[in-house]
Amino acid sequence: MVLLKFTFGRLLQLVPVLLGITLIAFLLLRVLPGDPATLILGSRGTAEDIARLTTQLGLDRPLWQQYLEFLGDMLRGSFGQSIAYHTAVGPLILERLWTTLALVGFSTVLAVVMTIPFALMAALHKGGVVDHAIKVFFVVMMSMPAFWLGVLLVLLLSIAFPIFPVSGLGEGMLDGLYHLFLPAFIIALGTAALTIRSLRSSLIDVLKADYIDTALAKGLRARRVLLAHVLRNSLISTISVLGVHTSWVIGGTVVIEAVFAIPGLGYLLLSSIAARDYPMVQGLTVTFAVLVVMINLITDIAYAAADPRVKLS
Amino acid sequence: MGAHEYTIFGRSSRKMRLGLSAAAMFAVLATAGTVWPAQATDLKVAIASDALTLDPIASSDNASIWTELLIFDQLVRPSKSGTKLEPGLAEKWTVSPDGLEYTFTLRDAKFANGEAVTADDVVYSLQRAAGEKSDWARFFKPITKYTVIDAKTIKFNLDKPFTPLLNNLAMFSASILPKKEVEAKGADFFQAPFGSGPFTVKTWNHGEKIVLSKNPNYWQAGKPAVDEAEIQVIAEDNSRVLKLKAGEVDAIVGIPFNQVSQLKSDPDLNVGVADVFRIELVQLNTTKKPFDDERVRQALNYAVDKDAIVKGVLRGNGKAAATALPIMAYHNEELKPYPHDVAKAKALLKEAGYENGFKASMLVQSGDVTYRQVASALQSNLKDIGVDLQLQGIESSSQFSTTKSGNYEMSLSYASSDTIDPDQIIGFTSINPERANAFHTQWKDDRVNALYEQERQTLDGPERGAMFKEMEQRVHDGAPFIFLYHQGMPYASRKNVEGFEVLPTSNYRLEDVVMK
Repeated sequence: MVLLKFTFGRLLQLVPVLLGITLIAFLLLRVLPGDPATLILGSRGTAEDIARLTTQLGLDRPLWQQYLEFLGDMLRGSFGQSIAYHTAVGPLILERLWTTLALVGFSTVLAVVMTIPFALMAALHKGGVVDHAIKVFFVVMMSMPAFWLGVLLVLLLSIAFPIFPVSGLGEGMLDGLYHLFLPAFIIALGTAALTIRSLRSSLIDVLKADYIDTALAKGLRARRVLLAHVLRNSLISTISVLGVHTSWVIGGTVVIEAVFAIPGLGYLLLSSIAARDYPMVQGLTVTFAVLVVMINLITDIAYAAADPRVKLS
Repeated sequence: MGAHEYTIFGRSSRKMRLGLSAAAMFAVLATAGTVWPAQATDLKVAIASDALTLDPIASSDNASIWTELLIFDQLVRPSKSGTKLEPGLAEKWTVSPDGLEYTFTLRDAKFANGEAVTADDVVYSLQRAAGEKSDWARFFKPITKYTVIDAKTIKFNLDKPFTPLLNNLAMFSASILPKKEVEAKGADFFQAPFGSGPFTVKTWNHGEKIVLSKNPNYWQAGKPAVDEAEIQVIAEDNSRVLKLKAGEVDAIVGIPFNQVSQLKSDPDLNVGVADVFRIELVQLNTTKKPFDDERVRQALNYAVDKDAIVKGVLRGNGKAAATALPIMAYHNEELKPYPHDVAKAKALLKEAGYENGFKASMLVQSGDVTYRQVASALQSNLKDIGVDLQLQGIESSSQFSTTKSGNYEMSLSYASSDTIDPDQIIGFTSINPERANAFHTQWKDDRVNALYEQERQTLDGPERGAMFKEMEQRVHDGAPFIFLYHQGMPYASRKNVEGFEVLPTSNYRLEDVVMK
């Protein structure tokens, strides 16, 4: 019940945020040079063709009318007609939303799976060879451009040792995860580089705490202390880091999408901006905003679950 | 300080350490999952971009056009060599000697749903293409009257002769659609359209792939040889090449020039370079000084070493250009590219009063590797004659509107032809005003304009050819552009794929592909 109320409150907060975001996106796009009708018709258009298309697209009407119309389309869920694709924006976004969510979700899981053991190893061997090796490895991974790393891994794991497919989405759930592994892994490396550092330092702090000594002194087994006390208490700050980073990943995977031919939202946004596909960019902006808010929400809930002192209210 | 503080964990639990290492290994490897065998293959082709729409009258991007040409038939179509027209849905046709009456006889063809293609479908489709919603109306508007003589015969009348018409009828925008279906379904029809062409749309995952299946009713007996053709979208050039090497696709279109020769030496692949109807050039804004002076424009042409660019940047996959037309029908073979002659260029500049050179800026698409390399080659070439060229990066989507507004000095760009007749592209690059004020150079030559009018009303033949040749010569001399090169389009397929080729019109006929 508390959770429901909390969620509802958060969603309500979303309304003014969305309005603000759509207004900014709407105005920014129209300030950019380049007009959609000219872009669509390219070298083939005559002045009359361009004028006709401009009217057809409704771009000759006053800005406020266009904005209101967009709000109306948004409420109806269609988000208007895409200029480039000649079809409703909503379904086109939805088609790719799942791909993006799968990629982001998969990479987050991989990041978590990597973070916990590596951070524990680093913290327990603080200053030692293992600690440094982990640090160096992930710093190197993080500083390699995703594009470069992607091509390298494909050359290694798809061409030299054909374990993974070069790119694409595959058919069905399992095949899909198999296809998404390399791209998700590369994103996860970047995320893990951050979360491992964060978790390692809080682990080190918690390990110094008195209650850990107490726990050990009263004879609890080291494994239990480590997992139940040390890890749980250390995870809290890392959850926020993970949440913030995941919000960024949602729109920031354009390069990975390009290298692995994944039809995700990031690439669609990029090409839609280039094509001045106003309704599509507006629809995507709203989608991204909603996703970021949802991730923050999930972060807060996870936070509360990890730390009993935090109340959802 | 250091690790010893926590040795209680480090020392006491060797098992735990093992467990941790195992978990770390798991993190890297375990999700690798099972490797499963490749599925039985139908033809898979990877191209750079997704079709935006499959409605022929609303398409102008290559991916849409190429796919539409696999789904729909037109009355006539370009031959594979791109030099003449051959029968499509029309088995035969006649043009009256005055060029005002066209009569077409349809072959016995069926749409993919089994219904016969009739004269009504033709009239409906062409009127739609010439209609209000069409981006291509002006190509078909010269037809003023359609007469259905019987189900298989149809007559078009024109008010005045318009020779390019037959070529325009071979364009994707003149695709013959099943009238009943389009009328019943409206815009939805084009989400999974079918026509009388070799393939129909099975599924379309936007941004990922279009799966085409064989049209069982296709009129060319025995074709297509494949049951399914999958057009995959792989935007990144390197990824597309890797995908082909790994055997995940059977053919790709578009290869970075610096990888062509390496792929040619791969024993598993066939590599080809299509001579597509395309010309790369630098637009010169002839309304601005010093580009208003013909001598200056010629000097720029003499200063550029085109052969070196073709060799260095295109790795030999192209040809130096002499004029603003692709090498296609009626091309003036006698015309030679401006030779690389620095002394001559300097002399011309001196004559024009620019002995000490000048400063100029050039728009270059940012993010395009080939263009960037060509631009720096131009920069160093022009430096030799004292011209200080500043490069101005521009996003590809605003380049056209920028040059259109006239707010530029030089702009590195290209033009390509949708038809096999030079009328369309000469109208675009060389006629002012017509469609684009001679591709935004504002260059104007009354003789060229007059020849253009005349050519459009002269029946195909040597007489019309002579007009094009004269226009080409005058454009060459007037030099509203720096004529650069004709760039080839590299493509490749795996050895077990037979008959995959990119045609001069840039599209591919997958109905001719056989998988061994």
